[in-house]
Amino acid sequence: MPELPQHVLTLSSPPDDIDAVHDLLAEVWMQLPTISKTDRHSFETALIELTANVLRHADPGKEVTCRVQVETFADRIEATLSDTGAAGEVELIERDMPHSLSESGRGIPLIQALVDELDYSRVGATNMWRMTRWFQL
Amino acid sequence: MEFSIVDRDGDIAVLRLNGRLNMVSAGRVRDAVATAVADGRSRVVVDLTRVEFMDSSGLGALVSGMKAARLAGGDLRIASPTEQVKLVLQLTNMDRVLPAYDDAETAFANA
Repeated sequence: MPELPQHVLTLSSPPDDIDAVHDLLAEVWMQLPTISKTDRHSFETALIELTANVLRHADPGKEVTCRVQVETFADRIEATLSDTGAAGEVELIERDMPHSLSESGRGIPLIQALVDELDYSRVGATNMWRMTRWFQL
Repeated sequence: MEFSIVDRDGDIAVLRLNGRLNMVSAGRVRDAVATAVADGRSRVVVDLTRVEFMDSSGLGALVSGMKAARLAGGDLRIASPTEQVKLVLQLTNMDRVLPAYDDAETAFANA
């Protein structure tokens, strides 16, 4: 069995910020030149939204550590996030977009529109997130 | 994220962004639009030609700017979004509220 391509980033915020995730994905795309633009844009946007959500909901003034792992397969791309922030109070039922004049609240519904699967679980003191996008044929 | 503001035709300000419009830069963009509006330039064009990535925080900054501009009797319009930005606008149904103009020069051509 060939080793699965895997990319891992451990982010400590502050001082690390979301740009570290863009850098991680730049590496992934270098090794995956065949991926379509739509798949690339969709997955990158979803992973940035998810990581931003984790950083935004961490306790103010407290450092949050977030481990981001990206794995690619022949037919899909997956990300797993684990973070030390407070337990996520996230309802992952299909959410509607907020009112057009709202300045926030689009992150989770946008992720749901961009990837095929999004799961959350609380394991001990850690939040675990997993998202998958199946490649378009 | 780098940006510059160019004044055009009296009350029009063109904000040219370069880089990623995300949670890191959204606050600065929101402030820049608010300052332009407070200075009397209530018609604001945000030129997205060089924005390779925008997330929902960045979109929130555009909505904030649009509301500030409209309160002052003007509007905020976006020009020349890249493919990823168009994707975010479509999936959030915001392409109807923030329609894209071809370029910064024509965004207020009919207003």
